Amino acid sequence: MIIKQQMDEERRKGLPPFSLFFQNKNIYKGLGLLAVFLLFLLPVLRLVWLSFVDEGSLTFDYYTEILKEQATWSTVQNTMVIVLGSTVLALVLGVAFSYIVAYVHIRGKRAMQLFIFLPFIIPSYITTLAWTQFFGGSGPVSALLALLPGNLQAPNLYSTGGIILLLGLSHYPLVYLFTVNVFRKIPRDLEEAAATSGLSKKQAFRKVVLPLALPGIASGGLIAFLSNLDNFGIPAFLGTPSNIRVLSTYIYEQVVGFGPQAFSRAAVLSVMLGVIALFGTLLQWFLLRRSRVTETVRGDMNPRIFLKPVRQAFLESVLWIFLLVTSLMPLVAMGALSLISAYGVPFTLENLSLKNYEYVFFTDMKPLAALSNSLQLAIVTMVICLVLGTILAYLRFKFPEWSTKTAELFITIPYALPGTVFALCMIFMWMEPVPGWNPGIYGTALILFIAYATRFMVLQIRGSYTAFLQIDPSMDEAARTSGARALARWRKVLLPLLFPGILSGALLVFLMALTELTVSSLLWSSGTETVGVVIFGYEQAGYSTYSTAFSTVLVLGILLGGLLFMVLGKLWDRKVLKTK
Amino acid sequence: MIELVGVSKRYGSFTALHEVDLEIERGEFIAILGPSGCGKTTLLKLLAGFMGPTDGFIVMDDSTVASAKRVTPPEKRNIGMVFQSFALWPHMTIAEHVEFPLNHHQNRKKESKQEVQARIGEVLKLVGLDSFSERYPSELSGGQKQRVALARAIAPRPNLMLMDEPFSALDVELRMEMRKEIQKLHRETGASIVFVTHDQSEALAIADRIVVMNKGRIEQIASPEMIYTRPETEFVATFVGKCNLVKGQWQDGNFIPKINPRCLWSDMGVAKAFKKNGIYPVRPEQLQLSMVALNGVHGRVTFVQYQGHEIHYTVEILGETWTVHESVYSPRFYVGDEVTVGLKKAVRPEKVLVSN
Repeated sequence: MIIKQQMDEERRKGLPPFSLFFQNKNIYKGLGLLAVFLLFLLPVLRLVWLSFVDEGSLTFDYYTEILKEQATWSTVQNTMVIVLGSTVLALVLGVAFSYIVAYVHIRGKRAMQLFIFLPFIIPSYITTLAWTQFFGGSGPVSALLALLPGNLQAPNLYSTGGIILLLGLSHYPLVYLFTVNVFRKIPRDLEEAAATSGLSKKQAFRKVVLPLALPGIASGGLIAFLSNLDNFGIPAFLGTPSNIRVLSTYIYEQVVGFGPQAFSRAAVLSVMLGVIALFGTLLQWFLLRRSRVTETVRGDMNPRIFLKPVRQAFLESVLWIFLLVTSLMPLVAMGALSLISAYGVPFTLENLSLKNYEYVFFTDMKPLAALSNSLQLAIVTMVICLVLGTILAYLRFKFPEWSTKTAELFITIPYALPGTVFALCMIFMWMEPVPGWNPGIYGTALILFIAYATRFMVLQIRGSYTAFLQIDPSMDEAARTSGARALARWRKVLLPLLFPGILSGALLVFLMALTELTVSSLLWSSGTETVGVVIFGYEQAGYSTYSTAFSTVLVLGILLGGLLFMVLGKLWDRKVLKTK
Repeated sequence: MIELVGVSKRYGSFTALHEVDLEIERGEFIAILGPSGCGKTTLLKLLAGFMGPTDGFIVMDDSTVASAKRVTPPEKRNIGMVFQSFALWPHMTIAEHVEFPLNHHQNRKKESKQEVQARIGEVLKLVGLDSFSERYPSELSGGQKQRVALARAIAPRPNLMLMDEPFSALDVELRMEMRKEIQKLHRETGASIVFVTHDQSEALAIADRIVVMNKGRIEQIASPEMIYTRPETEFVATFVGKCNLVKGQWQDGNFIPKINPRCLWSDMGVAKAFKKNGIYPVRPEQLQLSMVALNGVHGRVTFVQYQGHEIHYTVEILGETWTVHESVYSPRFYVGDEVTVGLKKAVRPEKVLVSN
């Protein structure tokens, strides 16, 4: 009798009822999805809700009021002109560079790529600052123009054209990044087949290469469109002094203006901006789905077009001049001008001093505190995203089904939204997480940590997910048939192979959080200023020399970090992965 | 011994395996042969334990390792596996690849460092890579990578070796060399081997027994000679032997082709199923061409392919197309020639070749 009971018990332990197992699984799925929904999507819904609510009742008043205002429509018009103009500029530059780098035989492509990516790692507000110095009264452009006959003036960057120029220059690397591999992945045989069918090079490009590259170009263009729409730093730095408003800066002005209906008005404008952005994201997602066919083909890294040596040299020098003038010179000009003692004095030896640096780092306590704040924020955000993001990426990889796909979509939204809109969502969500209960998160540093982790989580998920995808399943299977249990497999096989991909995702999160401006400009409170907020503050107060000094130090720090990362990456590849 | 009993695998409404029964003797070399999508890889994955069957069960060494309810994972099975893509770890040296299963496989013993090192040396010597132990996979050629994959699989002395089209990434000459290599390893390790391939000549050359699969079912299990000379289904006859399926009538153990009822072909060991359906499976090399003669089947040569050691003729006979392989020493024919096709007389009847 006793023996039989034991056996029954053992059987029960060994074989849990199937249905219960599945119930549990569904419960975990549901809980996980709920958590993701509450953290990532609910803030957005609450923002939308607030734009319709006035003292507890549904209303369209805010919409009708705002849509009636002349200021709204001129802002929307400015936004459209600026965003479309800068998107066209980014597209032209990005596609031209990616076509040349992918197809034409030129020297120094690697070095070129580095310079193309420079605007990527330097935050756009610092780039803008550098350009204003470059074109400013004491800058090299004015000095050069003064030498020429005639009364030539340096173009005014504080204008619609200036904003378009800087947005375009800041975002063409995105287009480049999206299209260069699209070009490389178009099989060379297709062009050759077109040539043997009697098409000239130009015809082959028009009829074969272009149609195949179009989905990639289009999605690159949409990414640029979204980034231009989202950007706050450039229109804030260049547009505010000249009274040119776009939606992102207009929302900011509403919030900091603290009118009686500030938040509700900002919510309405945010919904307008958010709808445009979401529409773009959906369009991009759709285009990417359609272009997936070419994704499996390996990129062909060899050049396809060989120019005569003279033409090649000419092309190379044009590219290099462009890259140096647009990415390096402004930074050098900024560095140099940060050394002059007062704004507007000529750049001569006796006017040089380290006075600005002394003020920034020894007199004013804010920059150092901000640096420490931003570093803390960046490190904590990176660690949170690294752990949670990699776990989520693993789930997404292991269970490619509706629940993980939905979760990914939810998590993408905070990143896809324009920063000002997202910041507002965070305010509404965390001011009173449950209506009627204010735990005092808004107004402290905590909201910045939450906001950054929410916003940048998707970057880590994408990085880690790509790393998982790149590992052939047979790597793990071979370890299993060799008898290794899960722990040994992770430690000895999977993690060493995953490490570079996961790390590059984490570093992207770190860099984004370190130099972030848009979200923190709305969420900061006294004592929790970030680097971006301090530079923005100096700029608004007219202390250009201080902001350039602080920015110069930041740029040097970022470049040094980037260099270190590259060297370490090379070492890792050589020492651990043994690739040549 | 390994036994599969009524093993099925379904993905939704698609059935990859239909109630497969198979026994693998200790030390036996089995080739699973079939076109792509026939379920051979599914069968291998079930044997490895990467997934479980929907129905039926698998027994290895007297314990049930897989049923619809419970699946023993690969790391707890006494197996070794060689992958199609080699699956070498880019961050480990050759010696570390061989050491890995020695440290983790369930067959591992409490061995001293020296004993492990000795085993690594022994295994690498067996595959001829003893001078490469400190190299990384990226520094090896395709054939060498394959040898590393083999070394890793045999190192812990598993009872069962699984090979998933291990030669498909190698060029033709290397394949021939690796066939011998695997036969040698089989002799020296004494492990059972299950070798998946879609290349019939590979299966015929190396296996003790061949399992021919098609559309998730086993068509025939037999020795290479039996599979080749005594196909039991139309699929095996055409896939392995490239047979011409000649229609006609079976009368008193003799065959009368429909095309020319005056011919009489003797039975050289045709399976019952064919006799019932009125078919004589004739392999191309069983046929011979001659100048137009009264007795025989008349046709016209439509294609000639010179192969070096033999010549492949395509002959059209009253709307049917037959393939004939002739020795280069036989009379030569050209496109458009009228010929007579006849059945070669076996020097000794093939019936005697294999005891049935």
